[in-house]
Order: sequence, then structure tokens, then C-alpha cells
Amino acid sequence: MPREVEPSLNEKQFFVKALEENLRIDGRAFDQYRELDLEFGDELGVTDVRLGKTRIHTHITAEVTTPFPDRPFDGLFTITSELSPMTSPFFEPNRPSTTEILLSRLLEKTLRRSGALDTESLCLIAGQKCWSIRADVHVLSHDGNLVDAACIGVLAALQHFRKPDTSTEGESVTVYTLAEREPVPLSLLHFPYCVTFSYYSSTVEEGETVTLLDATLLEEQLREGSATIGINRHGEVCQIAKLGGVPLDAVAFLGCVQIALVKVKEISVFVSKRLEEEAKKRDKGGLMAELSAENDRVS
Amino acid sequence: MFVLPGEPLEPATLPSHSTIPLKLGPGLLHIPPNTITPTVAGLLRTDKRKNAVWVEFNGGRYVPTTGDLVIATIQRSSVDVFYASISDYTPNATLPQLSFEGATKKTRPQLAFGALVYSRVSLANKHMDPELECVSSSTGKSEGLGPLTGGLVFNISLGMSRRLMLAKPGEQGGLVILDELGEQGAAFEIAVGRNGRVWVDSKSLKGTLAIGKAIQDIDEKSLKVDEQKKLARKVAREI
Repeated sequence: MPREVEPSLNEKQFFVKALEENLRIDGRAFDQYRELDLEFGDELGVTDVRLGKTRIHTHITAEVTTPFPDRPFDGLFTITSELSPMTSPFFEPNRPSTTEILLSRLLEKTLRRSGALDTESLCLIAGQKCWSIRADVHVLSHDGNLVDAACIGVLAALQHFRKPDTSTEGESVTVYTLAEREPVPLSLLHFPYCVTFSYYSSTVEEGETVTLLDATLLEEQLREGSATIGINRHGEVCQIAKLGGVPLDAVAFLGCVQIALVKVKEISVFVSKRLEEEAKKRDKGGLMAELSAENDRVS
Repeated sequence: MFVLPGEPLEPATLPSHSTIPLKLGPGLLHIPPNTITPTVAGLLRTDKRKNAVWVEFNGGRYVPTTGDLVIATIQRSSVDVFYASISDYTPNATLPQLSFEGATKKTRPQLAFGALVYSRVSLANKHMDPELECVSSSTGKSEGLGPLTGGLVFNISLGMSRRLMLAKPGEQGGLVILDELGEQGAAFEIAVGRNGRVWVDSKSLKGTLAIGKAIQDIDEKSLKVDEQKKLARKVAREI
């Protein structure tokens, strides 16, 4: 297994000196994200997220399967992530690296276990038939902060995806093709995004910790601790992952949650803006409202 | 002239010289008896004086060639050689510990893991690991080669590093950023490696970052001469 390329001595020394002067190598502010770009594919449920030089492709697919016997009323939702050797020769196929395990675990915790997707709405016939929604996350280019970018990609793809419409009569389910009936969107309950903080302590004066947001690959390699906070725009924290690293002051950590909330609000606004633009592009001649089989929600 | 792989080259496009034989550079293939065809897509460049012809293309991976100046990263050292990485995920090159200026068994440099050295490829062979040197074997002088301390290394494309190393980058490669920065009075040190690395150092960290970023921007956005001049003035003002 090839070893990951480590930053050179000059880069390490420069980075430390730059942090002392409140500088980042790419000239950003400490709490600034890189330029975020979100593109949608021709197919429904395909997104391409770019965060600086990090690029992630997400694809959502749906098929009808049998539910697990212990959860007869729930559909299935799986997230699979892949870091292929195309990303970097450091990653080998069929041998998950720590980065990959962490990425899939954090996506699982943030999106699946927080109940972002309403799995009960995926049930067709209790105990017999249900929808299985699968999100494939492909990392095309790795320049740090995979978790945040992948989270944006999966959530945007879930909102973009439409599953085929169905009708149930007794024991038989009819799945309509896209030509027969307009497909229906998934039922999403809330939108938790991830915000990753990187901590550097020994590089600066005693007792002081520098916190960076949206670390690049170099910054990730040099960090002494990190925390990923999954939070939705209403301020509900879904998960916090701080796996070792430098100890942190509790009050400072609460500050991080506040920063995460601000960032998540910005990301949510951006994603919904892009989804609206995309919907307008697809809605040729304003037919979407007439074709829709959905009833207006009364809330 | 833009050429595509496999396309036959007209004899008129090749340089001719009365005494020196024709020299084929990267990206060209000679099929005996007298067919020359490009193997990559790119710009056909010729040098009348040296009677040389090659294809300029922005290829991905660096292939070491004898005489190239590269910025290598020390990986480990053994009894009498350092092992240095020229490009990521390729076998390490060897750099003899005595091939530094004035190095003897007692005064050889101590280079730690991750140190950068500006060196020349002294041996490049398809089936062997490349060898590096930091001293000219004929004069015994370093000629600007050796360990690089301080500063920061930036990654650029291989085409950009070739452009930076041209004798007259302004006329031959349309690259005026370094001359323009010098004219504006910005003081900095720079070392360009053929392996797509450029090392920059200046008095302030901000200056180093600004110059490195400017070079990367010119590379990625392929800026024209007037845009480069504008950028250089902006960078010089920042420093």
C-alpha cells in the first residue's frame, strides 16, 4: 500500500508562521469556505459538488425490494462512498482507507440516523414491498473537507431526485414509468449539513487554539484535531464527531456550534437557490404544475 | 502549428540545417526510413539554430530526463545517499550525500525528512531509478543548486514550468510576470523545477503567497500578457 505523500518541511514551517500572522496559504479568512459550486446532471438525482478543488459526484437510485423483517414499515436508505485510485494513488480499490471509513460513517450518522429521509414514506406494502434508496458518493478529486462536500452533494441529490409514482391495490403494486406519470419527490424531514473544524494548538502560543473552517488537504494533513458538527438550519445538532486530537475548551466548542449554524444557513440558502434554478430549467413551458400527481400539503 | 497524434508532418514544417543532424524532442516518433509523426496533441515547436523539433504539450506526469533541474523532497537518507522524491507516487531518486558543493565525508549536509533540494537530474534511465546531483561535476561549483530553506513550494503544470525556464519567457512563451514583478521593484527568490514545482521566497509571507498565487493563476487561467502585467502591478502593490 503506497504511503500518503506528506507535506514538505518548508510547507510545514511556512504554514505555522502564516498561522501566527493570521494568514492561510490560500489567502482565505479562518472561517471562510472555498468557492462552492453545485451542478446537476441530466438525470434526476445526480449532483456534482465542487468545493475549491474538491469534487464529489453523487448519484441517487431507487428500486423496489423487501423491507427488513424487523422493520416492516420502513423503506431502505443506504449511502455508499467510494474513494477510487483516480482521486489519489494512495487509495486502493476494495481496501477502505481510514479517510473512506470516516467519510461513510459521518454521512451515515448525519443523514441516515438523524432521519433526514422519511423512510416510512418509502413503504409500499408493509412487510413485503418497499423502496430502497441508494446514494452513491464518488470522490473525483480530493483537496480536503470531503465530509462537508459529500453531505451537500447527497442532500442536494436527494432533493433533486424523483422516484417513480406507484399505486397500490390490495396486494399488487404498480410502478409507473416516467412517461406514464410524473415521478414524485422524496419526503425529506430536515436538512442536516456538516461543518468540519480543524484545530491547531502547538503551532501558536501556549493555551491558544486556532480554528480553521473548510481545511484544504495540506491543512488537514497538518492539523492536530478536528470536529465535525452535523446541524440543520434550525439549529438542531444531529451529530458531533470529535475523534481524539487536541483537547478543547467547552465554551469554545459551543462557539463552534454557533459558527456551524451560521455556515449551515448559508449553505442551505445556496442549495435551495440552485435547486430552484434547476427546477426552472427543467420546467419547460410551465407544465410541471399540471403534470404533478402530488397534492398540496396542508400544514 | 497545432498537431494531432498520427498525423503526417510535412517536410516543410521541419527545420533544416546544413551540418547538424535533426534532433527530435518529446512527443515525436521517427518511423524509418523517413516518416516523422507526432505521438501527442500539442503545438509543434522548432529551433532553427539547434535544428531541433518537438511538440509542446501540457502532459500530466513528469518523466525525468538528464540535465533537467528539479525540486525534490528528501524522503530518507542512508549511509551515503539521500532518497528524494521528484514526483508523487513514483520511485525515489537517489542523491549522493557527497554531490553538494564542498561536501566531504565530514562536512556533508544534514537533510531531514521533507527538506527540499534544488537539483539536476544526472542520470535518467527508463528501467532505473533516476539520480540527482547538486553540484556541477565539471566545475565543482553548486551553480545555484542545493537545499532550499524557508519559502514555500507551489505546484504548477509541467507546461508552465517549461515556460518559466525558457531563456526569454517573454518572447518565446508569452510569460512576463517575473520580469514585470522585477520592474515593479518586488524583491523575491524563485526556483523553478521541471517537475511542476516552483519555490518562492520573499521578505514577507504575504509577498511569497502573492507571487506563488499569481504564478498558479496565470497557469490555471492561462492569462495573456496584458493581464499578467496588471496582475504583477497588483501583486507588487500588495507586497
